[in-house]
Amino acid sequence: MKYIKTLTHYFEVTFACIRMAILTIVEYPSSIAGWLLSNPLQFIVGFATIQFVVQEFGEINGWSYGQLAFLYGLSVISHALSMIFFIQGWFMGYYVLEGEFDRYLTRPLGVLYQFFFTQINIFGITDLLPGIVVFLYGCHKVGFAWSLQNILCILALLIGATLIRGGIYILIGTTSFFTRSANDFGQYTQEIFDKTTMYPLSMYPESLQFLLTYLIPIGWVSFYPVSSMLGVDNGLTGFPGAIGLTFVIGIAVIVVAGIFFNYGLKKYESAGN
Amino acid sequence: MKQKNGNVYFYVYKTQILKSLAYKFDVYGNIIMQTIIMIATAFFWKALFRNATMVKGVTVDTMMTYTVISSMLSVVLTTGVERRITDSVQKGTIAIDMMRPVNLFKVFFAENLGTVTALFFQNLLPIFLIGSLFIKLPTPSGLPELLLFLLSLLLAFFINWYLSVIFGMWAFSIIQMDALIQVKKHLIRLLSGSMIPLWFFPEWLRSILECLPFAYIYQMPLTIYVGQYTKESLVRGLLVQTIWVVVLFTIFRFMEKRVTDKVMIQGG
Repeated sequence: MKYIKTLTHYFEVTFACIRMAILTIVEYPSSIAGWLLSNPLQFIVGFATIQFVVQEFGEINGWSYGQLAFLYGLSVISHALSMIFFIQGWFMGYYVLEGEFDRYLTRPLGVLYQFFFTQINIFGITDLLPGIVVFLYGCHKVGFAWSLQNILCILALLIGATLIRGGIYILIGTTSFFTRSANDFGQYTQEIFDKTTMYPLSMYPESLQFLLTYLIPIGWVSFYPVSSMLGVDNGLTGFPGAIGLTFVIGIAVIVVAGIFFNYGLKKYESAGN
Repeated sequence: MKQKNGNVYFYVYKTQILKSLAYKFDVYGNIIMQTIIMIATAFFWKALFRNATMVKGVTVDTMMTYTVISSMLSVVLTTGVERRITDSVQKGTIAIDMMRPVNLFKVFFAENLGTVTALFFQNLLPIFLIGSLFIKLPTPSGLPELLLFLLSLLLAFFINWYLSVIFGMWAFSIIQMDALIQVKKHLIRLLSGSMIPLWFFPEWLRSILECLPFAYIYQMPLTIYVGQYTKESLVRGLLVQTIWVVVLFTIFRFMEKRVTDKVMIQGG
């Protein structure tokens, strides 16, 4: 009973924060207008690249055009979700240097929770919209059946993928507790994620595929679940239930990241406020 | 007096080189980014060419050279001038900048040349080495091609510069430029042939893009370098490229005058 009470409390706080984030946009509509143009354009440009090339070449490593749209769309959606909820991970270095964690430590809620959920980045919607458009287009092209089972699969995949991305941001961000530097790796992480989740992983050499399958679970963000869902050969046999695995790996990554974060937090020394 | 002003710009150029050399982390970061993009692009083309030896008269070897040289060009064709103008408009230092007895845009140009000179050694050479080692030694298809490439690259540099300055001057009327700068970046990425050459574009789009200035920033010099041209297309291309330099220069002069007047009126 006590746990349920705590949980409802957390949910209430989350909703209050989402409401505040939305109100911010309503208050300053011009600040989001530019990004509503720029971010979708980025992904549409990326997708146009695929379209033109595939029209000329036929396919990439056995992936047809519709399948690529499906993969690309899902990858952008999970990217957008991770931007909405976990972007703070990119800026942890600054928070450590500025002693900003003091504020979180004094409040009666989990630090990890507060850090990520009290500043929800509603601007991530500008990434979400083009993702959904490309994904629906891909669904149409591959003749995706909207059965209950398939919808549940997509949801599980998106949750798993978002958690994997978020977990990796947290893991990288947490290193700031030890290095006490503000080197911003967000951009590089992003570029690597883009190149490995929006295109079939099988186009890279095997050593890299191995690395991104077993050591860093980036392959599970989109490549393995989507290829098993669409029945495309993914080079690795014997991964039944890849979608379930994505979900499980997602939870595992976020748990490991959470433990590492809490361990790092113990090393945190305030800037002396 | 004229002579003295020339020295001023040279001094700005020198200072900018030293300034650029001071930011070590930015440099490594840029090399890492460029390397990721370059290597991923190379694998992308390799995967596409797996079932075909030649598409539209292009081989996989050509595309490897194209990728490495394109990555190197992106270093030379970096301009921070939009950002520079936006910052000084937002902070309000633009009025003071313009009061100084030098041409502001010439100062910007000198700064840009300084940055590019520093980047040549800091970024371009490492990218060349990494590209040659892991992808392919990007040899030009011949000596005349190399010389024509350098000529075309010079024109491309000016097209890119004038486009950026003209775009930056928007900052005088629009204060929120961050997103628009990104929009321009994405458009150039797609429309200039820096990622995919225009050869692979649908015919209708290609003929439109060949009229716009973007293709003359990356596509034109790269096409010459890898030798994918006929005599007519070369002459026509270089001609259109020159015309764009002249057109953009004219627009630039026109806007420069208007912007200067505007600041004079507002700033007293």
